[in-house]
Amino acid sequence: MDDSARRLLQRLIRRIPAQMLKPTLDKWDRLTAAHRQSMDFTESKWALTEKLLAICEENEMTVKHITELEMIHVIENPDHSMWYALQLVDPEDDAHSVELTQFKEQFKSHLRELIRHVSIKIKKHTDEAVWIRIAWGDSFSRPNHLKPTYVVHHLQTPYVFVTSLTSKLKPLLSQALVLSTRYQAIKDASLSGRKLTAIRDLLMRQYQQVFPTKYPSSLVENNQNASNILINKEQAELAASRHQKACEAFGDGMLPQLQSAVYKLETKFRDHTNKTMTEREEAFRCVVKFASTNLLESLRHCASSGISSTPGTSLLSSIPLKGRNYFVITDNGPGPSSQTRQPPN
Amino acid sequence: MERPQNSVVRTPPNSTAVQRRSKSKSYRQSYRSCLGAASRLGLTPGLTARRLNSSRRALKSHIITEKVNPDHLALLVKREWRLSYITPLHQFRHTQLKRYSRQLSAFIAAEKQQGVAVEVEGSQSGFRVSFSVVQGLAATDDDAETVLIQIFSRPVFAKQDEPQKSVWSGWLTCINGNPEYLQSLPKGFTSLPLFGGSGAEVLTSLVKSWFQQTFDCCFGPLEINHTSLQWLAALWTNCHTESNLQHLKMIWTLPVVPPLQITYTINPQDAWELWMSVRKDRLEKTEDEEEAGSIDIEEVMRFVQGLKSHFYRHFRLDLSAGNLNQVSTALGSAKFSGKIKISNSRYMITTLTLLTECALLKMPV
Repeated sequence: MDDSARRLLQRLIRRIPAQMLKPTLDKWDRLTAAHRQSMDFTESKWALTEKLLAICEENEMTVKHITELEMIHVIENPDHSMWYALQLVDPEDDAHSVELTQFKEQFKSHLRELIRHVSIKIKKHTDEAVWIRIAWGDSFSRPNHLKPTYVVHHLQTPYVFVTSLTSKLKPLLSQALVLSTRYQAIKDASLSGRKLTAIRDLLMRQYQQVFPTKYPSSLVENNQNASNILINKEQAELAASRHQKACEAFGDGMLPQLQSAVYKLETKFRDHTNKTMTEREEAFRCVVKFASTNLLESLRHCASSGISSTPGTSLLSSIPLKGRNYFVITDNGPGPSSQTRQPPN
Repeated sequence: MERPQNSVVRTPPNSTAVQRRSKSKSYRQSYRSCLGAASRLGLTPGLTARRLNSSRRALKSHIITEKVNPDHLALLVKREWRLSYITPLHQFRHTQLKRYSRQLSAFIAAEKQQGVAVEVEGSQSGFRVSFSVVQGLAATDDDAETVLIQIFSRPVFAKQDEPQKSVWSGWLTCINGNPEYLQSLPKGFTSLPLFGGSGAEVLTSLVKSWFQQTFDCCFGPLEINHTSLQWLAALWTNCHTESNLQHLKMIWTLPVVPPLQITYTINPQDAWELWMSVRKDRLEKTEDEEEAGSIDIEEVMRFVQGLKSHFYRHFRLDLSAGNLNQVSTALGSAKFSGKIKISNSRYMITTLTLLTECALLKMPV
């Protein structure tokens, strides 16, 4: 077992939390029953690392095997780095019929054409997602397994999620993806976050959406403060309608755990009490960042508690609507990666 | 004067208790009576309309690098201080600073012996305390001179020339304090109402205990309320032409579940133009330079309201529903929890004047 494999294994064991170690190793399935019994999982991490290194040496395991283990761990725990969403655009005629083996072959061969030394591992997860692990080298050096890029693509959808990708290597990956999925181009979806499940659910609308109804009695407001019946009756209707509008804008039940949203505003300042600024030609530049442990829930609560009015017309409802969390707002027509919106006065 | 036997020092709830101490007949007026406010009985004044009553504030950028020792200035800027207010100190002498240094040093050593955990680093280090006067910061004749305290760690096996590491620093100051109040203090009392500390929390509480024991004063936490934060935002924006703000950043928290934090960062040039547009009417009407140099609270309010309404237009969220937690620019940053950082020595006097006023208002006596 060479040096790089040893280092990779050491780093990996350090990353995996103690309680996850046994299940992950079991899933890996490369240790014999005897080996597994010989490992005492109550020992310290350091002792376990040494033991595991010894076992892998004995069995002459290579980097290939270790990367398998890493991939298993990352698929179970994807929330440790920042994920960025990309979207494939302009499908060719046969884009929708691309299936797994075809995609795998095409992706590997295209990427290998673009860059000589690269190590690719593709695995299909149970929930229709294809996971790709890429270790990049270049014309002179072997692939660097310590800084791999992970890509998740759901076949039959135009969505791709990427983590740990440098801007230098992005065009190569984009090219390979476009060719192997039979689309014409790929663009940045302006959505990023730490929790892969959250941004995936948001983008693919996999949360409980609420559609406007004329008779909103289906959503019941859970307000049990029965202090005064008349006041409650009056307020209950208002509260219910606010709650309904809030859910229409942001969804019902458990919402994807998005953590932040950034708006870059470049609109004109318009305030009837301030004539000077309203007459000003240039835009009033500012950046607003919303942050919370669960952003969409905070926003929904703002709407249902009345702190924000008319949530449907605000820019905030664009987050679930468009599945993005980075916006550039200008007064004028659409720019390349900008979202246009003329705020009502 | 007799010290109470127990170590608990309580601030007298009304001014008659203070009378006991002083020899002179006239007793010290409570700060609020100087403002013409009625309440002497109330422990907390409920006079929110009178908070920060000086709505006019003369604004000057002071080049204080000439007046103040640059080493002292270097210690004060670019560091975040936790603020407290202090009630007036009894028998504090600026001439006795060496004695105070030794006393505080001994006090810390004694507390350490008793088991208070003062280990900052290393197990054997002692502490050397240094009190010094920062000449040049006091703005008026009534202001007492600012006192700077530094605690250095003194490792047991230190070499002769090894530079000592400062593990804690703090200061007491009074800048542009209300003259009526300062003059009404009975003899023997010095008012340095604003205290800032930076370093290990244990050392801060030891320093405070020592002050409380030695000078019969009382410390209390000083928050920077949203009005003061808005003042700072306006004051700093006003200085954009002289020193680049780089950005005006304001952080609000909305009380929803889970709490939502909103960081609103405004381009400095645009913020400055908005501020100027708010001031325009005022500046056009007056010829007097003195008038033009001072800022009204209404202008500050209109400035912040303008920013809030721009926000509302886009997001349909009224920021007034939230709490303003932090204001920061390249000139400094201020947090609601009572932390201040002054990054540019030019605006130190203005900022400290505002904070001195906050401290004087927050004091219960």
